[in-house]
Amino acid sequence: MGRQASLVALCAWLAAFLAGAAANAADAIKIGFPIPLSGPTAVYGTPILKGAEMAVSEINAKGGVLGRKLELLSRDSKANADEAVRLARELIIKDNVDFLIGTLTSAEAPAVSTIAKENKIVFLSPSAKTMKLTAPENLHPYIFRIASNTDIEGAAGAQVMAGWKDIKRVATIAPDYAYGHDAIGTYIQTMKKLRPDVEIVDQQWPKLGEPDFTAFITAQMSKKPDAVYCDFFGGDFVTLAKQAAPLGYFKAINNRLADGGEVGVIDEAIALGNDYPLGIWTDTYDPVIWTGKEPAEHKAFEERLRAFMKTDYGSGWAIMGYNGVTALVAGIIKAGGTDSDKVAAALAGLTFDTPTGKLTFNAKTHESESGEFWGEMVKDPKYPFAIIKDPVYRNPDPRTETN
Amino acid sequence: MSRLSSDRIPWALIVFVIGLSVPWVGSRYDTFLATQIAIYALFALSLNLLLGMTGLVSFGHVAYFGIGAYVCGILMKTLGVPFIVAFPAAGLGAGAFALVFGYFCVRLTKIYFAMLTLAFSQIVWAVCFKWNTVTGGDQGLPEVPFPDLGWMSAIPGTGHFRISEYFYLLTLILVMLCVAALRRIGQSPFGRVLTTIRENPERAAFIGVNVRGYELAAFTVAGVFAGFSGALFGIFNRGVFADYVFWSKSADVMIMAILGGMNHFWGPAIGAAVLTLLNQQITSYTEYWPFVLGTILVVLLFAFPGGILGALDAGWTRLTHRRGLPTQRNA
Amino acid sequence: MNLSFLFSQFMGGLTAAMFLFLIASGLSLIFGVLRVLNFAHGSFYMLGAYLAWQIVHWLALGGANFWLATIGAAAGIAILGGIIERLLFRFLYGREELYQLLFTYALVLILGDAAKFTWGTQQLSVSRPAILNGGVEVLATTVPYYNLFIIAVGPLIALGVWLMLTRTPLGRMVRAAALDREMLSALGANVGWLYTGMFMLSAALAGLAGALVTPIQSIVPGMDVEIIVQAFIVVVIGGLGSFWGTFWGSVLYGQVLSFGILIFPGFSLFSVFALMAVILIIRPWGLFGRPIR
Repeated sequence: MGRQASLVALCAWLAAFLAGAAANAADAIKIGFPIPLSGPTAVYGTPILKGAEMAVSEINAKGGVLGRKLELLSRDSKANADEAVRLARELIIKDNVDFLIGTLTSAEAPAVSTIAKENKIVFLSPSAKTMKLTAPENLHPYIFRIASNTDIEGAAGAQVMAGWKDIKRVATIAPDYAYGHDAIGTYIQTMKKLRPDVEIVDQQWPKLGEPDFTAFITAQMSKKPDAVYCDFFGGDFVTLAKQAAPLGYFKAINNRLADGGEVGVIDEAIALGNDYPLGIWTDTYDPVIWTGKEPAEHKAFEERLRAFMKTDYGSGWAIMGYNGVTALVAGIIKAGGTDSDKVAAALAGLTFDTPTGKLTFNAKTHESESGEFWGEMVKDPKYPFAIIKDPVYRNPDPRTETN
Repeated sequence: MSRLSSDRIPWALIVFVIGLSVPWVGSRYDTFLATQIAIYALFALSLNLLLGMTGLVSFGHVAYFGIGAYVCGILMKTLGVPFIVAFPAAGLGAGAFALVFGYFCVRLTKIYFAMLTLAFSQIVWAVCFKWNTVTGGDQGLPEVPFPDLGWMSAIPGTGHFRISEYFYLLTLILVMLCVAALRRIGQSPFGRVLTTIRENPERAAFIGVNVRGYELAAFTVAGVFAGFSGALFGIFNRGVFADYVFWSKSADVMIMAILGGMNHFWGPAIGAAVLTLLNQQITSYTEYWPFVLGTILVVLLFAFPGGILGALDAGWTRLTHRRGLPTQRNA
Repeated sequence: MNLSFLFSQFMGGLTAAMFLFLIASGLSLIFGVLRVLNFAHGSFYMLGAYLAWQIVHWLALGGANFWLATIGAAAGIAILGGIIERLLFRFLYGREELYQLLFTYALVLILGDAAKFTWGTQQLSVSRPAILNGGVEVLATTVPYYNLFIIAVGPLIALGVWLMLTRTPLGRMVRAAALDREMLSALGANVGWLYTGMFMLSAALAGLAGALVTPIQSIVPGMDVEIIVQAFIVVVIGGLGSFWGTFWGSVLYGQVLSFGILIFPGFSLFSVFALMAVILIIRPWGLFGRPIR
């Protein structure tokens, strides 16, 4: 977000505040949206919110849902579980929101899910991947996940790497918290099924937000892996890539690195610019620049997103917020109203359209079972950053994945 | 002690009565806010036993808050222990850790003390963040149950209450009991020794006070009450998460103490209320809450170093023309 | 474990150490002289990184601009530090630590939001200057030039500050001020401006550190808070007020991290805190510190 955009936002907020925001809110359908807008995770929170805002403005421009407008109430959850809980309660009880979408970290999502259950409010989680969110003991009728999960991610990573026939010694490097451990766990389990000949030679666990990866990289290189499965993402991957490249890390493994942490997202590619380690394989929810067969809806979506965000390339994260709102709206329409129980029942098993294809909420697990687009990162002279080449959608089920 | 908090006006009783009326007078959300304020007030008051009373700047008080939350949460959720056992256990658990960590911390003074308390609290955070099988790791322990409060429906006029309103009443009573205990501790001979240590540790040692021993005792007692507040916080938020133990919460609670005025017994409680309400109001309008908080803090430190109660006290004194400005404690 | 491996771990630890030292050096300096623990040092570091990115961006592409950006960031943050010191900070000298900690914490909040308002929440990064691309082969291990550069800059800064403090008239005044501010003032020295100067120097070191990490780290919101506690702890490990203590504290931290992860894979999360707890329990005043009263 540029300075001007922020100024405009501030002015808009002031105007809305002075005019009394209640004016148009009389019978709008209210959606509470607590998500991190500050701290390192704001890298995702801000564009996800943008995507949701775009969906809301598009739907309202077409007359809203069942004759009612949508209203988005966004709040900064600060990536903090108790703040997210406080906001969820405030949104539900004080602001009378009908639905909740949002949260990002693996603590916020289960925390808010408990509050949603207690208040019987439908809650869609657009980006948390933790399995715990929908684990049988925590599952309830009102929680639905738009995002992928660590099982799908780890299994997809294994699928990609199983295709590299000559690899024998694999190492892993992932952030030292549940997300990293869960994804790596599924990865290893699936890899052992697909490629029993492959040996896991090293595992490194730097912490989230590690400022210096050098020691981890050198320790890993000493085990002489010929391929690496990595789970770092966002700013951490930028740091890792920039520090690993001059150590000869990518060269030593011949760029045989797969990363399940969505570092194929355009935001990441732009941040790394010419420092992107070309030739690695990675995933993204939204290949913003789509080489190969691009669906027409996707092309149109990206055009609208660029216009809405007023940036040259939009963001690969916005689609998660956008899908959250469109899935919810599909549920409201199917239920014929905003009653929580009816919408929750409608969402279970519902198939909804996204710019990258259809998704279905599994009626039993409440998972969208969303996969991601995997591909090799390459340089295209048309763009000043790396792009994902011929992305392929992968959403394997690790339980049935066999050779 | 100041005139405003003198015993002529039964402040505690007034606050308690107002507090009790919230679920009947206010909205459901007001009850949530009041619960949060009560819990933070206890947390901030427990910190002030160190900060204002003994003069120990603990930058890791959140560790004992968090340990209390985890002990209570694990006992109630994982082991199915009733609240009546889990709550005291949370205080004891937090106190035990405070005793051990405090033993090392009180050997140091000033900034070293602050930094070692911070280091211990971050170690506690790291353990909570990692120990999946017990603490749930970074994903925490969601769905901590409310205590069984069915018996409370016998209270007349509570027919329309939900569990959260009953839990508020329970919280209010427990917090008030804890605060009363803290008040008694402050006014006891033990508390007076702590004040002596704050004013001049060398002199206290000279007249034969075991300074370290007393500091350790204060540290442990503060830990116990922080543990109680943490236990309530975990249930209130329906889950315990590693975020509760992160160091920035130590800064938040310190701000509460300063904001209300740490030279007054009730100051930190006032600070907790004001900060919670401000946070709630401002975050509804802007995501730039840290900026607002920072600005408030700067104004406070420069214009009202005695906090809200300090400023009120000064104004009161001026109005009644009794004496000059009350003496500020300053280094 | 062969020699080459030990060497590469040692170098990895040294790089991590010098990174932290770049940030911690200014913090240590300001505590040694002004007796203030400055939470906002992390914010200066973050603003330095953003400012460097901004200058590189303005000057368009090209490696040489990185050096201009580094100087610009250091100077810009020094000026910012000077303004804050003159307007607000100097009223806090001699106040209790609590007030200083909270005031600098307030700065963290304000500057953090100011950075977010100006640069948004996207991750940013700056390319390595062309001259420092690549690396040199030592003992069958590649050591990147940029790491060597950082490893050289750390001791140079340490040496420079040390020489300034011990070999120049200005340094003598600074040390005198650290010992007895009133006495120096009574002797006719302008202690106020001396403090401003030291504060600016410390801020410049933070800005420099911020700029120098941009080629090998991402610039994200919250990087101020992530680093400041670690930097604090390194200063405390070394002994408050001891500049060389901070240097050796950083070196120790780097090596403990680098070899610690070989034994305990999840060590990174605990490393700095565990090291500090152990050291303060054994030597309550840090490695090189003296008891303060």
